[in-house]
Amino acid sequence: MFYRLAGVYHTTYAGERKLWPVPADRWQALGVLALGLLAPLLVGDLYLSSYLLPWLVWTAAALSLTLLMGVAGQLHFGFAAVMAIGAYTAIHLTRFGVPFEIALLGAGLMAAAIGSLFGAAALRVKGLYLVMATLAMQYLVDWTIINVPAISGGAQATLQAPEVSFLGAPMTNDTVQYYGALLWAAFLTVFIMNIKRSAFGRALVAVRDKDFAAAVIGVNVFRYKLLAFFTSSFLGGVSGAVLAFCYYEAVTPEQFSFDVSIQFVAMVLVGGLGSVIGAYLGAAFVLLLPIVLTNLVAGLADSGLLTISQNLQSHIPLMAYGALIIAFLLFEPLGLAKIYDNLRNYFRVWPFQHTRN
Amino acid sequence: MSAERQAAADAGGAAPEARHANWQADDTLLNHLARNAREVPDRVALRERDHGIWQEYTWAEYLDRVLAVAAGLEQYGLKPEDTVLVVGDNRPALYFAMLSAVALRAVPSPAYPDATPQEIGEQMKREGIRFALAEDQEQVDKLLEIRAGYPELELIVYDDPRGLKGKEPAGVVGFETIAAAGRTRLQAEPKLRDDLLGRSSVHDVAVLLHSSGTTGAPKGIPIKHGHILFAVRNAAQAEYFREGEVHMAYLPMAWVGDFTFSVGAAILLRFSVNIPETQETALNDLREIAPTLYFSSPRAWSNMLTRIQVGIDESTPFKRWLYNRFMPFAVELERRRLQGRAPGAGERLWRALGEFLVYGPIKDQLGLRRVGRPYTAGEAIGEEVFLFFRALGLDLRQFYGQTENCALAAAQGPGSVKLHTVGKPFPGVEVRLSDNGEVLVKGDNVFDGYFQRPDATAETLVDGWLHTGDAGYLEDDGQLVVLGRVSEVVYTAAGERFIPTFIENRIKFSHFIRDICILGEGRAHLAAIVCVDIDAVGHWAEEQGVPYTSYADLSQQDAVYDLVEGVLRRTNETLPEGLQIRRFINLHKPFDPDDGEVTRTRKLRRNVIDDHYRPIIDALYSADDQIEYKATFTYETGETGELTRQLHLRDVTPGQAAQTAHANRAETHRAAQ
Repeated sequence: MFYRLAGVYHTTYAGERKLWPVPADRWQALGVLALGLLAPLLVGDLYLSSYLLPWLVWTAAALSLTLLMGVAGQLHFGFAAVMAIGAYTAIHLTRFGVPFEIALLGAGLMAAAIGSLFGAAALRVKGLYLVMATLAMQYLVDWTIINVPAISGGAQATLQAPEVSFLGAPMTNDTVQYYGALLWAAFLTVFIMNIKRSAFGRALVAVRDKDFAAAVIGVNVFRYKLLAFFTSSFLGGVSGAVLAFCYYEAVTPEQFSFDVSIQFVAMVLVGGLGSVIGAYLGAAFVLLLPIVLTNLVAGLADSGLLTISQNLQSHIPLMAYGALIIAFLLFEPLGLAKIYDNLRNYFRVWPFQHTRN
Repeated sequence: MSAERQAAADAGGAAPEARHANWQADDTLLNHLARNAREVPDRVALRERDHGIWQEYTWAEYLDRVLAVAAGLEQYGLKPEDTVLVVGDNRPALYFAMLSAVALRAVPSPAYPDATPQEIGEQMKREGIRFALAEDQEQVDKLLEIRAGYPELELIVYDDPRGLKGKEPAGVVGFETIAAAGRTRLQAEPKLRDDLLGRSSVHDVAVLLHSSGTTGAPKGIPIKHGHILFAVRNAAQAEYFREGEVHMAYLPMAWVGDFTFSVGAAILLRFSVNIPETQETALNDLREIAPTLYFSSPRAWSNMLTRIQVGIDESTPFKRWLYNRFMPFAVELERRRLQGRAPGAGERLWRALGEFLVYGPIKDQLGLRRVGRPYTAGEAIGEEVFLFFRALGLDLRQFYGQTENCALAAAQGPGSVKLHTVGKPFPGVEVRLSDNGEVLVKGDNVFDGYFQRPDATAETLVDGWLHTGDAGYLEDDGQLVVLGRVSEVVYTAAGERFIPTFIENRIKFSHFIRDICILGEGRAHLAAIVCVDIDAVGHWAEEQGVPYTSYADLSQQDAVYDLVEGVLRRTNETLPEGLQIRRFINLHKPFDPDDGEVTRTRKLRRNVIDDHYRPIIDALYSADDQIEYKATFTYETGETGELTRQLHLRDVTPGQAAQTAHANRAETHRAAQ
């Protein structure tokens, strides 16, 4: 219905491989971008800094992880640790007076270096064994941060993020922090979409589908697995730094615990492995849905429609949340992105059920 | 022109210049092409889908290629007045080369790409063809086969190098080779360019087309520059074409419409002509281009409607529900609009909603979203089909013409569409009726006589009036109604006058019937040979749970007989008593142009059908319930085989009462066994 495909033709192969060859998709993307840019004018400060901002940062992290898990097929259950490395590196660098822009790069490089070190395990092991290796990374990094005062600033300590500015804009202002996160999420979106249609992306997909088959057709599996870990960890590290400076404005080890890693994996899975739009939807689902559910139940209880104990009131959202995850994955195992895709196809072939040609 | 041919072409006796005193000598396709290349060199003239993407040619490139190939062809020995065979699907190179030949004052003579070697061979012999332009290896192979028995064929030029390049047999050359030779010449001889542009005259033949050959060998129909250009101008004056239309060139190059639309109108009015990758991808390619001008035969429009209906049947319940809410409403609205009743404000609002929800999306799916000028011609279009597409918001209009008048004689005007007429004559075209009700046409677009057939010319062209052979009449407001072929008027034994095609077309409005042949000349009543449509009936059978294996099997199913009987019964209700179809048979195969039963444009060849199906026809007029039929058929290789089939015959019963009679008959039949 909304997808008008008549008159869309290409005179070059490059034109055919555009990011959004269909006008309706292009308008959607532009519309969402416009909404994102105008958000500070449209919504209140509370919503901006406690809903939209974390959603964008978590989406950025999920995008970084989906590159590794979805595109390259390498499981990673310690992604919070990667982000922690980035966050701590950035904070320490800026405390030493390094400009924030450089500190971000440093955060990415440090996370990429340590992340690839553990990723090297992937060259030997696959599947559950790789999960174990990345879990080991999570615990080792946690332990190191907590027990080395030079990093954490002492047991139970919280390191405040110094006041920095990004390209001249002070990162203490809510709006600037929001735009910082938006910029990073937008950059990652375009970056991952481009990776998926580049030779690098195709090589990763080949490795994901069957690594020795990829080797047979000439893909250097060693190199590409390591590159996948490197790139993903780099992006994860920067995302960690963005998280620390734009949202928390401080770092503690708890922010990057094992639970958070599991959350990222959940985002990627619920959203749809390897999907860009799935990262947005997955992050919204995992991050925002519990809040929405809690507010809903609390609202119902306050208004007297629901008479339940305080205890149950805090448990119902969790139960509903769990049920929803299962329900969505049962309904569409390929994630929210697939649901979006089905919906898109439903309208694309309207009023038929398939294309007529 | 050679003296002999000139005599043939101008059987009227006058010299061509005297006959068309109003024609300017430099009013040629080549000069108009050169003007386009000068005034709008960078506008896209041609687009061809190749390996999934559209290759564009601007007017400047168009002219360059035409001139390069012309210079090359001349170097390879093409002389003025030579006739050049053009065979293949629509390809830019073939269009270029046709104009190149025209620039050299040679005459392109296109053939249908699926014509048999025998048909093409006869055409070449009749026209003394020495040069052939072929699309690909398949056509080249066909021509090589012909050359074995026709050594006069000197040069075969191919376009698609696949399977040929580097392995060309003697006398076969690639277009690129010719064009390269031409470019070298053009560089060496700076004056050649203008020379080539100036050689042709408005009185030269621009293309040699052919009658469909429903009876006997096809006749050559030479169309001159002046004819085609005036035909297009007349039509443009009636706002039938606008400048710069986006046009899809997917119909055979041997058909007059393609030459008129894709060459004549395209050059004069600067169309961008779009060529699909293959016939199979034409529908998809159509959607990509979304033309602004679209011509299709009534049959193709009807197929499109079938596709939509099948698609809706398969669609999800909600979408189907929406379609059923909006589509019948729009059809009814359009029916009333044609009767002159304007819709109310509420209906307009509802239609606008429908445009968003149903009509717009369907037009988009078909690639007709931007079509401002959808046309149909060739035969009558079904009321259901016509109203459906008009209801979608497409201003579908019929036009009328023959190859002899560049297919542009009359057309329905934008505001004055009536279902049963083909509209008013174009400005500059005169139409009148002869005493026996035959439609006569006169104008600058009417040809000057058949190729080497003074006898046929004398019959057809009298005092400049083209005798179309169509029976018809003019309404009070000047709109022309065409009934059928004068020559096809036949009488039953009881003396009832009827035109089989007229009845056939009405029955074919049902999408279940692909072809039908009405019999009854000199007989007591009418009978029909029916070829069901495998797609529509096959789909119907799947839905009804009727299992079948092949076309032959499907056609003989009782349920399919019931279906066809229902269709015929409905048509019978609109026919006078003496002209109702009493009996029919479902044929085990569709009529096939390869068997000569229909022409390439799917017109019936009644004498061939009479001959092939003599036993079946006899059985139709006997009391038998079935017939054992020995079918002979031709394989793709040209070998023939034979197969015996049981075919059923069925009476068309008028209503419920007669149903029982049929059942009784069946009882008696069983008892007899």
